[in-house]
Amino acid sequence: MATDEELVGRLARGEESALAELLRRHERSLSSFLYRRTGGRDVEDLYQETWVRVLRHARDFDTSRRFSTWLYQIALNLARDWHRRPPPEAHETDAAAAESPELARAEAGLDAARLLERLPEAQRDVVILRFYHDLSEEQVAEILDCPKGTVKSRLHHALARLSQLAGKEKV
Amino acid sequence: MNHEDDLARRGEARLAEHARECDECAAAPLAFETIARSLAAYAVPLDVAELSRRVARHLQPELARLASVWFWRRLGRVIFAALLPLPLILLLDAYVLGVFYAWASTVLPAALATYLVISYAASQLLLFAATYAAIPLLLARDAWFRGLTTAEALP
Repeated sequence: MATDEELVGRLARGEESALAELLRRHERSLSSFLYRRTGGRDVEDLYQETWVRVLRHARDFDTSRRFSTWLYQIALNLARDWHRRPPPEAHETDAAAAESPELARAEAGLDAARLLERLPEAQRDVVILRFYHDLSEEQVAEILDCPKGTVKSRLHHALARLSQLAGKEKV
Repeated sequence: MNHEDDLARRGEARLAEHARECDECAAAPLAFETIARSLAAYAVPLDVAELSRRVARHLQPELARLASVWFWRRLGRVIFAALLPLPLILLLDAYVLGVFYAWASTVLPAALATYLVISYAASQLLLFAATYAAIPLLLARDAWFRGLTTAEALP
């Protein structure tokens, strides 16, 4: 089976099967990363733009690097740019749909989203990559382009803050 | 065990792993289970397959452009490589034909020797032309087959 890095080489030659395979392998992790990073806003556009950039720069990809790290870096840069845009106006929730299990689950998710939103951007990135994507501290450091010690320290501060917030909100 | 529980369990393990290596976390024990449960509740309600289909459709023209660029570049390289030994082959052929004509004209009438040499040279030229014409055809066939497997692989 071809590695991700080989597939990027084939993608640069315009092979659609390489794109299909890369999408299949990374669609779930990339979309959930973007969703949690942005709180669910404009995920479709960001997801598409990430792949557009992957295709555009596939020729320049250094195959000695890990593709997933590169992919997260592209997505993270896009999400950071996106973060500078103003947020949309908040909508009121439908009172009639209250007390359904789906709503309860959605609210729990919303609480988690609120928790993450209260973290500084740098700490949020570390938590999302480490907690949801099972990346090692080395990989997170490579994606964020910072030393491993910084990742450890950010994770510690994020956990302390989350612990404090979770206790306060009793989520 | 549902996805949320599984995510919470694995997430908690990762957080605990960090705590073991982090002196600061070890000094101030944190509610990893609560944090993991809270974070695991953050589900992603996206139709990922549809997202990928949309991306594949959006990128198709660019992929076709890249494939075309790659084809012509490859064709140029292959033809260049194939043309490199051609002058040497033609020189060798001309020499062999000269030697053959010199020998044939001593044992055959000159007109017959000339006819033999010219028909041999003509068939050689035809063979060369066919060989070089086959290069783009073979490359196009390769690209066409790749295109067929691609169409099946697309999401």
